[in-house]
Amino acid sequence: MNEFDPRSLLDQIFNRLRAADFTLGLGELLAAHQAIEGGWGSEDIEELRQVVALLWCHSREELLRFNIIWDEESPIETAPPSSPITPATAEEDSTLRETEQQRASSDAPEKSSSDAPTNVSSLPVRAPNITTASENRADLRAYWPVSRRFMVYTWRYLRRPVPGGPADILDIPTTVQRVTQQGFFLAPIYRQRERNQAHLVLLIDQDGSMMPFHRFTRDLVETVRDESTIGQVDIYYFHNLLTNSVYFDPHLTMRVPWEQALTHISTDTSVLMVSDAGAARGYRDTNRIRKTTEFLSHLRKRTNLLAWLNPMPTERWPGTSAQVIAHLVPMFQMNQDGFSNAIDVVRSGPLHYPTVSGSQ
Amino acid sequence: MNSSTHVFHGDNAHAATNRHPDSPQNPEPYVPTPDLVRAVNLALFLRRPLLLEGEAGCGKSRLAYAVAYELGWPLYFWPIRSTSKAQDGFYSYDAIRRLYDVQVNQLGQGANTESPTESQELESSQLRRRDPRRAQDYREFGPLGKAFSEKQCTSVVLIDEIDKADIDFPNDLLTVLDEPWAFPIPETGEWVAAASEHRPLVIITSNKEKGNLPAPFLRRCLYYYMDFPDKERMGQIVDTHYQTENKKPPEQNLATGAIDRFQQVRQDANLFRKPGTSEFLDWLEALHSFDDKEASPQLVAQDPIPYPELLFKLRTDWQKYNKPSAT
Repeated sequence: MNEFDPRSLLDQIFNRLRAADFTLGLGELLAAHQAIEGGWGSEDIEELRQVVALLWCHSREELLRFNIIWDEESPIETAPPSSPITPATAEEDSTLRETEQQRASSDAPEKSSSDAPTNVSSLPVRAPNITTASENRADLRAYWPVSRRFMVYTWRYLRRPVPGGPADILDIPTTVQRVTQQGFFLAPIYRQRERNQAHLVLLIDQDGSMMPFHRFTRDLVETVRDESTIGQVDIYYFHNLLTNSVYFDPHLTMRVPWEQALTHISTDTSVLMVSDAGAARGYRDTNRIRKTTEFLSHLRKRTNLLAWLNPMPTERWPGTSAQVIAHLVPMFQMNQDGFSNAIDVVRSGPLHYPTVSGSQ
Repeated sequence: MNSSTHVFHGDNAHAATNRHPDSPQNPEPYVPTPDLVRAVNLALFLRRPLLLEGEAGCGKSRLAYAVAYELGWPLYFWPIRSTSKAQDGFYSYDAIRRLYDVQVNQLGQGANTESPTESQELESSQLRRRDPRRAQDYREFGPLGKAFSEKQCTSVVLIDEIDKADIDFPNDLLTVLDEPWAFPIPETGEWVAAASEHRPLVIITSNKEKGNLPAPFLRRCLYYYMDFPDKERMGQIVDTHYQTENKKPPEQNLATGAIDRFQQVRQDANLFRKPGTSEFLDWLEALHSFDDKEASPQLVAQDPIPYPELLFKLRTDWQKYNKPSAT
């Protein structure tokens, strides 16, 4: 009754999980095989499920998704998962409960169909199965181009280390060298700590077509302010058009003349703009292009360390103002690669950057 | 099931008799679920780090003590702070002290006629032990370094609250907690490698306070989410706790009444911060023996709840439960 081949089942599940964006490598598959060889879950499928869950899931959310995939793939009817896998209803937070409910509702039709196969018309419509490879699953996934962690990490590359502040770092090689020169030890040699003197100006498009991306722009602002080492960060907001005034706050109430903001910008200042440049709604607005061109040429007199992050994918740029603006300033899609490249450009200037596919 | 894969049982009845000197000396009152026992044994079998997540106060860190006590293995505790660096866990090297010792030795050769005072005597005995010509005398192992250099016995390393560290920290650990399980010490030219049959069991706890851990790190860990114990297991925890501490346990109906009331409080959806197991045990102890008056189940059912200062640590929660009822 309990006859099943754990290895082939494992491989099947492994492939499904990898397709579902679990971060798993060959090492993890081998570890699971090793566990089976050691007698873990080679006889009992429920135990195998728990062992594999321990090895391959790394958050509660992943556990829930894993259980769904397991139920679909496993050849034998398994009992509902026991307590550690299904979180106790008492302390689970609302999002988990939602997922759980979705799971329950997706399970329900399956069961009822086996009970009453004749009465098909009254069954609830089942969500389409999204497992086939031919479907474009990108649309169904949540749009999550850059994780917060990646932002924190990438901001680190924006640095201009200059020694400064009190001398509090012990310089051991120099101390030893001095002692051997003098023949006796007087005092240890200290040097100054290196500080990141980079200066970043962040210009963020707010409201309107940028509304869906506020989650990311807020993350950008929070990470650069609180979790980066950049010496000086100035954040300004604008709405749609970079003109002669920008705002201090995301609600666009504290206006500041751009001329005044510009006085703080020197040749070493990095300027990063975040805007969809009309690509979100597919506009090609000559007024917008002209104003932006003026703005950029003005800015270029001060600094050349400019880059533009566009939260829309490059496929959506052609035919919009973004296509034109991408010729004026290095523009990158806001994904991991694009964000890293943008940081490269604002750090060392646009001497060499890969041509953007959105612009011809 | 191969019985040799089961090393950890999760009760103190199986405690080892020959104990390593660095092993915890006092028994740990700990009641793990069968799933948690399986997770520990699988981590032991595959020698992969075990990452524990869960609410504060549900016994993540205590598990390491329980494992180390039962198996009689040494436990090396590494609490992580925001300034922790991965190297702190491997070793530290005191170059200045070595330089100082060189100087003191040179001076000492000239004028050493005075009879040494007590402090000088102590100093010189330490000097004899530390030879500036031997760099090893100035290197001190951290928790992971100690576990790696343990050649006769497997050790347990508890990396507590890894999420508090700098964003790079888990990545720096990665290369060491994987093949070949070794790290170099450039200052002394040593190469510290764990014996292949005694690779340490690494238990890591996290609260996810500062966001997620890096994916490559997670990939190599076994992940276990600790749920809050249900009523039955809380009863076991109370029993084990008082048994191990050799104290007079509270009356049965007081304990069950307290568990019921506590679970009821936890199920309140409007609570901002839910109290954990350790807070419950403190609260039960207060109910049991803080006041001279006879502890009774009526005390538990009292309104407002007795000893709220042990359960509610946020002003809003505290005010909510500390209001006398309108009647």
